[in-house]
Amino acid sequence: MERPDAKLAELGAAVHEALAAETSASAEIRLARAGFLQQVAARNAAAANWPRRAPARGWRFLLLAGATAAGAIALWTWTRLPVTFQVGASGSRGQPGDLISAMGTTPTPLRFSEGSSLVLAGGGRLRVLATDPKGARVLVEDGTVDVSIAPARVGKKQWDFEAGPFSVLVTGTKFKLSYRALDQSFGIAMREGRVVVSGACLDGPTPVAAGAQLDLSCLAKPAPPVRMADLSPETPAQRGSAELAAPSGRPSRDASMWRDLLATGRLQEGLRAAERANFTRVCQTATAKELLALADAARLFGSTARAVTALRVLRQRFPSSAEASIAAFTLGRIAFEQKHAYAEAVGWFATYLREQPSGPLMGDSVGRLMEARLRAGDQTGSRTDAEQYLRRFPEGPYASEARGILSK
Amino acid sequence: MVWRTLSIESVEDLCKMFTPLTFVGDEAALIQALRAGHPGAAAVFYDQHAAHVYRALRSTLGADEDVPDLLQEVFIRALDRIGKLRDTERVRSWLTTIAIFVAREQIRLRTRRSWLRMFSPERTQPGHLHQPSSEARLALREVYDVLDQMPVDERMAFIFRFVDGMTLPDAAETCETSLATFKRRLARAEKRFLEAARRRPTLAHLLEEGTRWNVQTQS
Repeated sequence: MERPDAKLAELGAAVHEALAAETSASAEIRLARAGFLQQVAARNAAAANWPRRAPARGWRFLLLAGATAAGAIALWTWTRLPVTFQVGASGSRGQPGDLISAMGTTPTPLRFSEGSSLVLAGGGRLRVLATDPKGARVLVEDGTVDVSIAPARVGKKQWDFEAGPFSVLVTGTKFKLSYRALDQSFGIAMREGRVVVSGACLDGPTPVAAGAQLDLSCLAKPAPPVRMADLSPETPAQRGSAELAAPSGRPSRDASMWRDLLATGRLQEGLRAAERANFTRVCQTATAKELLALADAARLFGSTARAVTALRVLRQRFPSSAEASIAAFTLGRIAFEQKHAYAEAVGWFATYLREQPSGPLMGDSVGRLMEARLRAGDQTGSRTDAEQYLRRFPEGPYASEARGILSK
Repeated sequence: MVWRTLSIESVEDLCKMFTPLTFVGDEAALIQALRAGHPGAAAVFYDQHAAHVYRALRSTLGADEDVPDLLQEVFIRALDRIGKLRDTERVRSWLTTIAIFVAREQIRLRTRRSWLRMFSPERTQPGHLHQPSSEARLALREVYDVLDQMPVDERMAFIFRFVDGMTLPDAAETCETSLATFKRRLARAEKRFLEAARRRPTLAHLLEEGTRWNVQTQS
């Protein structure tokens, strides 16, 4: 006869299994997480506030002297407290380090305790990395920010903005700052005051005054010599410069027109002009940024093959560049979304992560890699990706898909 | 990648808008970061241990609508006491100990509420009495109904030993008691459980016939 404790052990194991099978666990864990982090944020905010002082007691003179001293100390301390900020229309308390995303097309305002304000345009992402009594350090990860820095009431202001390889030192101005992570293009338009812009590709700190505008990218490098024999049987003989005219020696209008059209955002016309000028040859002369634009245009206007050509040429001509990694990511998207070639998509997303483990598309790549592995039949790999994704992006856009994979 | 348009109307929306800065590091570095107030460390700490703490609460309490709140409470207490954690390699067992204490308080609170039920049943209706939807759920309910009648120390001993499958030394350590004391508590718990099971046909059947349930996911 079986011992009672053996039966109890069997019953207990079954209870354990039944508890583990409950699907409400992840929802309850997630619900508790939101509450926990809100409590943490509230506690951190409370800890940053000046503690209340007990009112002075005693004789009136002492009371007045005490109140005056308390006021002076409070004022001295207030001028040394880090600025705080509120986010969104509802004025939620912001925390340094948190990623702030403007959803959809809705701009997100940030209001700072010393009177400055930022408006993050829809689709943008930024972090307030740190605050101190003089201002804050802000990282613009992507998008456009309208900045209005209030004049200093006491002492000097110091605000720093970082956007990719660029930094902007601000002392009290109004301006609009744009940064696009995809091609690392930077732009600043001054309305009032003056800033100084520094960047890896600038000769030195560059002042920008009211009314002026600065647009640039550190990625506009000259192309290396082209190895025609590697690309296509149709390529002409090897030339010494990457900036080529048409093979006949007479420059055609289309050979240069596609550049102008792409640069002004007329993507479809630019694509057509590039096709008329021999698309393969255009790819051999375009800069990395132009190749990305050509690929975007081709994807947008229904020519997947052209997009793949531009992206593959980019990776061959500009290996180890940031654009080459972006091209890998885009090739992964094409493989997944348009060709439904999931194994190929896995390869491209993995390539991006190998080349840019901390790149701006890292989170997106991990999420898409997870989905591509799942569709390609690699259950084990997709579970590993899902765990990795949730560790780093528990609230990210692929979090629900990741939880779905792990719950199976 | 398209971000959905959301207005901040709920805590969940708030946390979608705020993604804490990612912390990268091992357990010891995480503990240091928590002590230093790193902005992303609290979220990482929670994500690494929440599932384990949830299981500890759930197995100790059974079904209880307060489990999400209690889960928060465990982590808040952990943050309060993080400076006193000596052995950073035993974070998980340290968290389990906190979870057990929180669960113990909840059980005592439920016991007090059960007294109130006699006077005002409509106001103190326990939130965890749901109609079971499967045999496994029925068994869970039966087991925890019996455990709810036990003294809390004996309940803990029973759960750690039979539900969580801990060894006797590990279970005694989790209860912060000696092995001898734990064995005595466990013996009393077994006796109470078996006596109660004789009075409950469903539970007696499960014990006698074995537990070949078809564990189904909750609908």
